Amino acid sequence: MRSELAAERSEANVIAIVTGGASGLGEAVARRLASDGATVVVADIDERAGQQVADNLKAAGFAVEAETVDVTDEGEVAAMVDAVVERHGRVDVLVCSAAIEVRASVVECSDDDWQRVIDVNLKGPFLCMKHAIPHIAAAGGGSVVIMSSVLGAIGSPGYAAYCASKGALNNLAKQAAIEHAPEGVRVNVISPSATDTGLFMKMAESTGDPKRIIDMVTRNSPMRRLGTGAEVADTVAFLCSPGAAYISGTIIPLDGGLAARRP
Amino acid sequence: MPDERWLDGKVALITGSGSGQGRAAAVLFARHGARVAVIDINDEGASETVKMVESAGGESFAMHADVSERDECNRMVATTMERLGRLDVIYNNAAVQMSGRLVECSEADWDLTIATNLSAIFWACRAAIPAMLEGDGGSIINTASTLGLIGSEGYAAYGAAKAGLVALTKQIATEYGPTIRANVIAPGSIDTPRFRKVLTGIDNVDEFLTMLTSNMPMRRLGTADDIANAALFLASDRSAYTSGAIVPVDGGLSALR
Repeated sequence: MRSELAAERSEANVIAIVTGGASGLGEAVARRLASDGATVVVADIDERAGQQVADNLKAAGFAVEAETVDVTDEGEVAAMVDAVVERHGRVDVLVCSAAIEVRASVVECSDDDWQRVIDVNLKGPFLCMKHAIPHIAAAGGGSVVIMSSVLGAIGSPGYAAYCASKGALNNLAKQAAIEHAPEGVRVNVISPSATDTGLFMKMAESTGDPKRIIDMVTRNSPMRRLGTGAEVADTVAFLCSPGAAYISGTIIPLDGGLAARRP
Repeated sequence: MPDERWLDGKVALITGSGSGQGRAAAVLFARHGARVAVIDINDEGASETVKMVESAGGESFAMHADVSERDECNRMVATTMERLGRLDVIYNNAAVQMSGRLVECSEADWDLTIATNLSAIFWACRAAIPAMLEGDGGSIINTASTLGLIGSEGYAAYGAAKAGLVALTKQIATEYGPTIRANVIAPGSIDTPRFRKVLTGIDNVDEFLTMLTSNMPMRRLGTADDIANAALFLASDRSAYTSGAIVPVDGGLSALR
């Protein structure tokens, strides 16, 4: 896969920005792209955690660096992208994985929680695409991968803001795909269900009885198990490779068949 | 051979692999270590595919089967098991494409389209799933079309069959989830011999293609290799948690609709 990722450009080095790269699925993606030979920028709001991930991967021999960024702040996003371009001359890959989750139904959801979820999960990818896509286009094209969720297409009690943010994100990605396809920028969405790595585990652990939550979720899943961070990373790697050259504007489910049984 | 072989030790059955997308997949799967059953009604094309697989260092055999016949679907699976000993991937790629608005669609055209593009997948999967379950499970890939997702004037039978195939695939994903994955590839306009055949009735092909591609976000037709690469991903463990999915390979076209 190393050679395939690199083949996206004739030069050996692919420059990839991964937001939310300091933990969860973003970290799994950062690790995978780095081991495939990309130079990976771990862009995260948590400075210490981002630096820790970068240090660990550097120690393993990979080209990884950390940038601290609040994706809801346009100035910070622009500065982060500019810093990457200044160091490396271009951007080839953007993976938007930073996200938060607040549990509240429509009537319970506070204004603040609503705004925070919409800002991080929807405005964040908007700002990152807005500032990275021109550089990806200028580099001759590349790949944007948006981490969404099965909850972008189906409802789930108690996740009003989260579902709304992910549903809107799915269509924003399609819009970006259509608008920037002529410049060689492909934009695709990954739609995971519960994985053993991301926000789901945080939520499950916060209940004090994660096993009960995991059992409940896997019982309803056709594959009877959670997804893994490595599986999500595999799909990101595929979408960033030349094998996906004609794939854009799609939503790829990583849900063990879950969405197939819903309307 | 690629650095990493994604289908080492696996057996794949590919219908309609005597040309176009099926042939590209047969060669790519073989390069990734799979042994391939090359199924087609075009014997000459199937033999040519086998030669291409062999010159790429792979192993395959050609078999004549008309998938619009239930018994032939059963026979192609049974023969693959006899000759190659297992079945890990079935890629239902064979299809017919006949145009005709609903009122003009003859019963014969309707029957053939539904048999080849929908019932064939049912028959093939019904035979293949028990064979896959004898092994380690497997991956089913069914070829739909952008026209299985949206309406298009003049494709009453084709559109219905492809939409039915999408529903059938989700059903299989749900029922055999723990070990068998089933996914749909929805190609856009792909530059293959069949696509070129559809163009033969058109006066100014270049002008038509320019008009067609100008409406596509990527401004180009797809290639058989574009589809084969997606099929390889879905056939392999790289997509281990993806099932019941519709994967458009259409240069962004379906995002527009």
